[in-house]
Amino acid sequence: MARGSSALARLRLGRDRRRTLYALAAAAMLFVLGEIVHPGFASLDSLEAVLTVASFVGLVAAGQTFVVLIGGIDLSVPWILNGAAILLVTSSLGQNERAPYAVALTLAMGAGVGMLNGLGVAFLDVPAVVITLAMNGIMEGLTLGLSGGLTCQACASYAPPIVQQAVHRQILGAPAELYLWLAVIIIVSFVLGRTRFGRHTYAIGNNLRASYLAGISVRFTTVMLYALSGLFSALAGILLVGFGGQASLGMGAPYLFQSIAAVVIGGVYILGGRGSYIGAAAGAASLTALVSVLLAMNMPDYGRSIIYGVVILVLLLLYGREESER
Amino acid sequence: MSPELAAPRRRRSLSVHIVGQNAGLLLVFAMLAAAVALYCLFYWMQQRSFPGNFELTSTVDNTMPLAMAAIGQTIVVLTRGLDLSVGGIIDLTNALAAVHMQDSLGSMLGWTVLVLLAGAALGFLNGLLVGVGRLQPIVVTLATLSIFQGLAIRVLPQPGGAIPPGYTALLVNMNQPWALLYLVLCAGLWLAFRRSAIGVAIIAVGNDEAAARANGINVVRSRVIAYTLSGVFAAAAGLFLAATATAGDATSGNGFTLSSIVAVVLGGVNLFGGRGSAIGAMAGGFVTTMIVNILFFSRIDPLYQSFYEGLFLIIAVVVGGGIGRMLRRRR
Amino acid sequence: MTESEPAAGGVLPPAVEATGLVKSFGGVRALAGADFAAAAGEVHALVGENGAGKSTLIKILGGRLRPDAGSVRFGGEAIELHGPDQAHLRGAWTVFQELTLLPWMTVAENLLLRHEPRGALGFIHRRRLSRDADAALERLGIRHIDPDALVEDIALAERQIVEIARVVIKNPDILLLDEPTSSLGEHEVAWLFDLIRGLRARGKCVVFTSHRWNEIASIADRITIFRNGADVGTYRGIEESEAVTLMTGQRLDTLFPPLPPLAAATPMLEARDLAGQGIDEVGFTLHRGEILGVGGLTGHGHRELFLTLFGAQRAGRGTIRAGGKALRLRGPRDAIRAGLGIALVPEDRKTEGLLLPMAVRDNLTLAILDRISRLGVVRAGREREMTRQIAQALQIKAPSLLHPAGGLSGGNQQKVLVGRWLLAESRILLLYDVTRGVDIATKHEIYQLMLRLVDEGRAILFYSSDAEELAHLCHRVLVMREGRIAASLARPALSAEAIVAAAVREPLVA
Repeated sequence: MARGSSALARLRLGRDRRRTLYALAAAAMLFVLGEIVHPGFASLDSLEAVLTVASFVGLVAAGQTFVVLIGGIDLSVPWILNGAAILLVTSSLGQNERAPYAVALTLAMGAGVGMLNGLGVAFLDVPAVVITLAMNGIMEGLTLGLSGGLTCQACASYAPPIVQQAVHRQILGAPAELYLWLAVIIIVSFVLGRTRFGRHTYAIGNNLRASYLAGISVRFTTVMLYALSGLFSALAGILLVGFGGQASLGMGAPYLFQSIAAVVIGGVYILGGRGSYIGAAAGAASLTALVSVLLAMNMPDYGRSIIYGVVILVLLLLYGREESER
Repeated sequence: MSPELAAPRRRRSLSVHIVGQNAGLLLVFAMLAAAVALYCLFYWMQQRSFPGNFELTSTVDNTMPLAMAAIGQTIVVLTRGLDLSVGGIIDLTNALAAVHMQDSLGSMLGWTVLVLLAGAALGFLNGLLVGVGRLQPIVVTLATLSIFQGLAIRVLPQPGGAIPPGYTALLVNMNQPWALLYLVLCAGLWLAFRRSAIGVAIIAVGNDEAAARANGINVVRSRVIAYTLSGVFAAAAGLFLAATATAGDATSGNGFTLSSIVAVVLGGVNLFGGRGSAIGAMAGGFVTTMIVNILFFSRIDPLYQSFYEGLFLIIAVVVGGGIGRMLRRRR
Repeated sequence: MTESEPAAGGVLPPAVEATGLVKSFGGVRALAGADFAAAAGEVHALVGENGAGKSTLIKILGGRLRPDAGSVRFGGEAIELHGPDQAHLRGAWTVFQELTLLPWMTVAENLLLRHEPRGALGFIHRRRLSRDADAALERLGIRHIDPDALVEDIALAERQIVEIARVVIKNPDILLLDEPTSSLGEHEVAWLFDLIRGLRARGKCVVFTSHRWNEIASIADRITIFRNGADVGTYRGIEESEAVTLMTGQRLDTLFPPLPPLAAATPMLEARDLAGQGIDEVGFTLHRGEILGVGGLTGHGHRELFLTLFGAQRAGRGTIRAGGKALRLRGPRDAIRAGLGIALVPEDRKTEGLLLPMAVRDNLTLAILDRISRLGVVRAGREREMTRQIAQALQIKAPSLLHPAGGLSGGNQQKVLVGRWLLAESRILLLYDVTRGVDIATKHEIYQLMLRLVDEGRAILFYSSDAEELAHLCHRVLVMREGRIAASLARPALSAEAIVAAAVREPLVA
């Protein structure tokens, strides 16, 4: 065994990091561009605002990263998130003393629904696209039905002040939400990079059959990963009500597309096995920066939507070329 | 003279094969029959009469866009792909038709052709990216979905425009279920497609890409054509949608991305490619419409509608898969 | 015995000729300047070790692969093949080793793929398709395969026959067959050889590869021997022992290390009346220090047996005991953790064994992460230590243990897999065709490793598609046929011929 690593090893180890860098560089460039078209765009305040918005995408993207790493996908994000937001306000009624119980209940709901997704994928062999799509419908129906279309009395409650503070309170000049996101980045990266569970996740994503034949509990890991995805959607829902104060219908809708886009931009391979959460988080940041710049340029809705798609395609083609160069 | 393998002759009757090899198709028609029966029952309980021509016509008219989208989705799924941009193509083509179509035969026919060509071009773009660019279908079509949706709003910023009444009458006569003719036409087209070189090539690619290539099938070309056809059928869905609504809406197609996948899955098309029929997918589309109708007449709170739809999808897939496995084992 | 005589006739150019072919996959050189020529009206056998380049040559001649260098001629005319279609235009058709049938289409659709009968409007005529296929099968003397059945639903041997049939009905001038007999029984081989003789009589050229010497001897007019990606020579009549020496560069008796006799008979793994999907009434005992071989035609239940013993497939009936204790296996996890530890090294290390893009380290410790983790966190130091030791013990050659496993040579990849199970302290090793596609030097190394493993008190159940290997390397060999154990051969009755004979014998009741 030679000491050190060959060029090939360096290339591979470097790729995830390089893509994270691409995504971060894109974000930085976008801020420069924003500053040019709209002076003051790159100010600290504005940076903070952009990152705060990005953090919600980033949290959902954490869950999406988990399932995409095993070649799955979670389409149930929108209504788990929305359901979580409504469950939080209705169970807490905006009271601080009920908040811990409400947060725990909401997170458990998210994890539970995600677990059902995982059970369907792992035990019933239903394709992830189908089961999570169906689950999104189920959550939509339950959320609408149980809240009477958000007409129930409790539905008008605000998020408990603690929850609102957990998002807004300034600590050392930055909102608490950003610290929370940073903590999630560190924890998720640690779980994926250093733990047995993380190793199993990458193994399954690379080769499910080989992982099974090496004695890994593929089913258990799959169920856990989908549960985590549900958990993060619910967490994003809670923090979003904390951010905005009240729940609304359809608030989860943008997060499906954005979370998948963030994961892809961050270099997580859509068929699984490769990529990191730092990449996906950087993807969320650059995506949000892009939207903000376009907004600053007074770009209408439709233009943003088009540019969004084009940027993803360009990155895909770029990554694809890198892939074939190996 | 010729060598002989001394083994007993083994033949099964064609009917056994047909049942075994088309279990998914039979299942979706069984589901459809059950749904219709259930619908009639609830209808009778409410109205003390059976549904008639009006109900049939409106069901068919309302399902036409989904049936069209499902055909396109089937062709892509057969190659082991997925087309998430279906909704965006419907948005865009719907908007184009609503903005440009005038009340003259020439304009109607001309714009029908142009809109279908536009759909083909959009699908062709997807096909190039997936086939030539060798990119993952899910992300490619997710990105193009966003682009197409943006373009649609550019074309028609506010719901509006107008579809000439003559065109509505031509596609979906509101009084008689004439649209059934289009369904029969599509079924015929599918049967022809299934018996054409390109149809066989597309199914072969979904069966086993490497084996298809070894048999001299042009895999890239097959993929490009599959996505292009999906675009054409999505455009047809956009036209039907515009005709039923008699106006355009650049966001009305969004839901069809997911509902076309549901129709395909209910129709017994295998999401991993190579197996399935567009006729099944069309029937799958009708099953989803019937579910909505049943929920309406069974006095279930409409807010819960998505809940039952989702639940039904899971049950149908799980039970359908189970029955399919049982049939296989039996043989 | 005559030496090579390319285009010796002088009058007619060879039906098919290749010169100076070079082809590499990644960093591995499959062909390194290979020459080959076969004449019309001859049956020409290609022999060589797995990985000698035979399949690559056939794929190039069939237009499925393009060479990096060198040229191909058909009837003297140099042709650059861009795909199978161009080879077909020159009358060259191939039966590939890995079947190229489409699983969810019917036998008839596969048989006439891209040559379907058309109706009036140019569309495929389904009923005639079925009838034509039926007639074509009938003409070839195949009566037991239902043309309307899905390929997925017919047996492996039947698929191989369909694969052959659909090429033969194209009336090829040059027929290329890559291991056409790997899953065929005695009668089916006889049928194929009758077909081949018929083609020869009509002046066609047939090129085929096989591992069974008696088949080659019985039908080949000339034999070209391949070694390490190049031809060694072309011969007319050559003894097996001589051919093997040429193929391997070693004498047959030095290729295989001597097998130490079995000492005390301590049972380690016992199967009694095992039945399940693809297997029936399987019973055997594997002893400590023993290498027990399993042989037979492909598709006759070996894979299922190995998967069942490893818990990856449910046993419908019967018992499995390890170290005297009955096991209840619900998954590989149970087998790995069973008292003595059962391990499976699968045939296709790339799809079933290794995680190619992941580090050698990750591959080595995949099965023991439980043991080297504390509170779910992998202990990096301990992992580094253990993997370094095992890599040293097995002499795994890798630039670093963080190097992706996919970048290693085939032999070293195989060692990584074995290393995984040594780390897991498995004492019962199920080795499934582990020498397939491995070069001769590595093979030799694997043989020695196997002997070392049993010498250290382990036991090995060893399936190989190479009967020669089984005969030399195993204490006993079980021959499977149709999911049952058809024969159990021990020394001195154990020989490659005996294994093949037991494998291809037709069942008593049809």
